[in-house]
Amino acid sequence: MTASNLPMARPFLPPYLLERVATGGSARLRECARHTLLVDSRFRARAGAVTLPPGSERRGEPARYVHSAEQQQVLPGKLVRREGQGESGDSAIDEAYHGLGATYRLFWEVYRRHSLDDQGMALLATVHYGKEYENAFWDGNQMVFGDGDGELFNRFTIAVDIIAHELTHGVIQHEAALEYAYQAGALNESLSDVFGTLVKQYQGEQRVEQADWLVGEGLFTDRVAGRALRSMAEPGTAYDDPLLGSDPQPGHMNDLVETHEDNGGVHINSGIPNRAFHLAAMALGGHAWERAGWVWYDTLVDQRLGRNSDFATFAGLTQDNAARRFGATSEVAEAVLAAWRTVGVLP
Amino acid sequence: MLRLSREGGLAHFPGLARPRCVHCTGCSEEQLGELQSLLLALPGASVAEAGNDRRRFCVALVGEGGEVLWSQVVAEESAPQALLAWWRRAEIAPLQKKTDGQA
Repeated sequence: MTASNLPMARPFLPPYLLERVATGGSARLRECARHTLLVDSRFRARAGAVTLPPGSERRGEPARYVHSAEQQQVLPGKLVRREGQGESGDSAIDEAYHGLGATYRLFWEVYRRHSLDDQGMALLATVHYGKEYENAFWDGNQMVFGDGDGELFNRFTIAVDIIAHELTHGVIQHEAALEYAYQAGALNESLSDVFGTLVKQYQGEQRVEQADWLVGEGLFTDRVAGRALRSMAEPGTAYDDPLLGSDPQPGHMNDLVETHEDNGGVHINSGIPNRAFHLAAMALGGHAWERAGWVWYDTLVDQRLGRNSDFATFAGLTQDNAARRFGATSEVAEAVLAAWRTVGVLP
Repeated sequence: MLRLSREGGLAHFPGLARPRCVHCTGCSEEQLGELQSLLLALPGASVAEAGNDRRRFCVALVGEGGEVLWSQVVAEESAPQALLAWWRRAEIAPLQKKTDGQA
């Protein structure tokens, strides 16, 4: 590495820093930096190289594949359970398999959607990702679950709504592809919470008053002062813990958090549309997936929902979809409008 | 001062997202060299990776007056292990209730 090619190689570094490294750093340091660069570029070349296995050609039947990363940070890892195979005896593997199935069932049996893309796309999950890895994420092709550290977090497959949350990110990716930042990102997160909780309620055949409306209940160990990651009924009350801090979610537009952290507050401000869904569902009663769920699903697949839609745009579309499906003067349309007014999104 | 913070993931936990600080004045020449090498090796533009709920590291050089001289965001999977080691042992900033998520 020479001083002349440094700026081309790493244009994001400030010139003064480049100059200091290039002129003041030892030969060993420069060689060390070059080696790290090579390792990172190889890592990034491997990332995103996942080829999806065959999906399901039969509508109404999923194609599930569960892999184990065996505590490494590799994707997708070793295939450990595929469609039709019996219990593995490993809790994370079996929870992931059944969580994929429960999510597929809600989208198919209620909304007649055949997997994430409505074309039978394979459902992929990797469990035992990393060592004591305390997160779960959607990587654009598949879900990834860590085992948790055992101190604050249990394994991330323990909550079916978290599995459904990650899969719903896949549905959104194939529909509105909401930008993952600021209000559009918070809508992306909220939709994942909404369908995550609907999968949980559908699986438990729960009516709205029976549901806990918590996201990720069971993820925290007993050492954490908290009930779950988020509360859709009462945003901002899910946890208050010395290590995790206090749940930062607002439940009203007056308290919208303006921040650059968390991709512009995608996991923070999602509390507002989450609460709107909860209010609408509670006003309507019965099973949330039957009426409020349909309105939100119609909006999720609505071509008018753009990548940069904000809360008000989304709320307007839910109003329109409620009127289209249930009637402009229906109880559903009224409940949806009242919900968005209560959280301050609509006047 | 080098400020390191880990953000993102399935939820935003203000306590876990608190910045951690490495005070350069307290570092040896060798440690400063290692940090410089790490900054040089940070992968660029990796935050645009596909997906949701992924974690990322925010790295910033902060001047004596608190001004940010330079910053970079790196996807967790792309962050060098040595950087994670620095983050683990860096001094954690005090927790501010309800305001950590705000700009």
